[in-house]
Amino acid sequence: MSMAGTTPHSGTSHGSLESRFAALEVAYKQAVADIADMRARDGLKTQFLANISHDLRTPLTAVITHAEILRDGMLGPLNERQLESIRGIIAGGRQLLDQVGEILTYARGAANQLTLTPSSFSIAEVVSQVTRLNESLISKKRLGLDVHVAADLPPLFADREKVAHILGNLFGNAIDFTPAGGRVWINANSTTRDGSRGGGTRGEDLLVEVGDTGIGISAEHHRFIFEEFAQVDASASRQHHGTGLGLTIAQKLVELHGGRIWVESELGRGSRFYFTIPYPEDTQ
Amino acid sequence: MLIVEDNELVTGALRILFEETGRRVTVAHSVAEAVVAGEKDPPDLLLLDLTLPDGSGLDVAQSLAKRGVKPKATVALTGRDDPASIEECHEAGVTAVMVKPVPTRELLKRTKEWLS
Repeated sequence: MSMAGTTPHSGTSHGSLESRFAALEVAYKQAVADIADMRARDGLKTQFLANISHDLRTPLTAVITHAEILRDGMLGPLNERQLESIRGIIAGGRQLLDQVGEILTYARGAANQLTLTPSSFSIAEVVSQVTRLNESLISKKRLGLDVHVAADLPPLFADREKVAHILGNLFGNAIDFTPAGGRVWINANSTTRDGSRGGGTRGEDLLVEVGDTGIGISAEHHRFIFEEFAQVDASASRQHHGTGLGLTIAQKLVELHGGRIWVESELGRGSRFYFTIPYPEDTQ
Repeated sequence: MLIVEDNELVTGALRILFEETGRRVTVAHSVAEAVVAGEKDPPDLLLLDLTLPDGSGLDVAQSLAKRGVKPKATVALTGRDDPASIEECHEAGVTAVMVKPVPTRELLKRTKEWLS
């Protein structure tokens, strides 16, 4: 806005300024009211997501339980083809359940309702649990897998289930976005807060790297991949499905632990995701 | 055993599961129904959903205990896995908290343990 050519005592300009201020004030009040209204609606939507996710679990329980009863031959023997079909229902049901669980975790995170239940555990156990869960996918895609967990890592004091969730989401993405015949890996080390390696003493963090030789992410996309519902290719014909919440949830869970998460990646040159979880102050 | 759960799809599945493994099953869909059924035919195992139309499943255990009905095991079978809900169940003195859907093999194995 230029004030050139106006004088402070000019009656017309003064009046014009006053009316402009009045108009601005009205617009400002309206904007404040609109923001409050949008926040309230956003809160309602988040609550709706949490409620619907919870309610979806109930009918899924019925579907999976009925299918398991049939699978286990409790209502009579099944032939191999019938068994294969029933197993498909169970696998589909469990996959849906996982996705509903992701939405529920996201909704709780968005509403700041996530809490930590910390315990002492070894990251090696969590790495092994996550790789075991993904074994069949890795072998189906003929991916090479390298796992390296430093031998001298002290136990973590964190929420075990949530750390497994973070690692599971990153590792799941690595597998999903790497073409057949590629390579995925998990490395776990200690790091001091300035980034150099250490032995897990006071003030140090656990550093986990999840890497792959997959399709990669161009630099311009790095800044929004942790945002909710973001997939670099969001078109209906996209090859990679999912809720689009995996990285948002991973980031939320890492930050809940006081850690950091980031990505190093180039298009066509694979991706390396890193996250840190602080060791407890009195470690060692 | 007494299964207290308001969703008929779930009680239908659980009834088949337990009846096929030789258990005698009664089903109730509300706190009020469960208290009447439990008093009439005291169960060895009480399986409780937490969210019922007229209250919490934990109220069923409390009301039955007041009437002198004390099952061998009281198990919360719930869709809520947040720490506060699980803590609430433990404070109410339940034998175990299982988050739905529990794999049927695990549920049958645990049932055997609770009733042994």
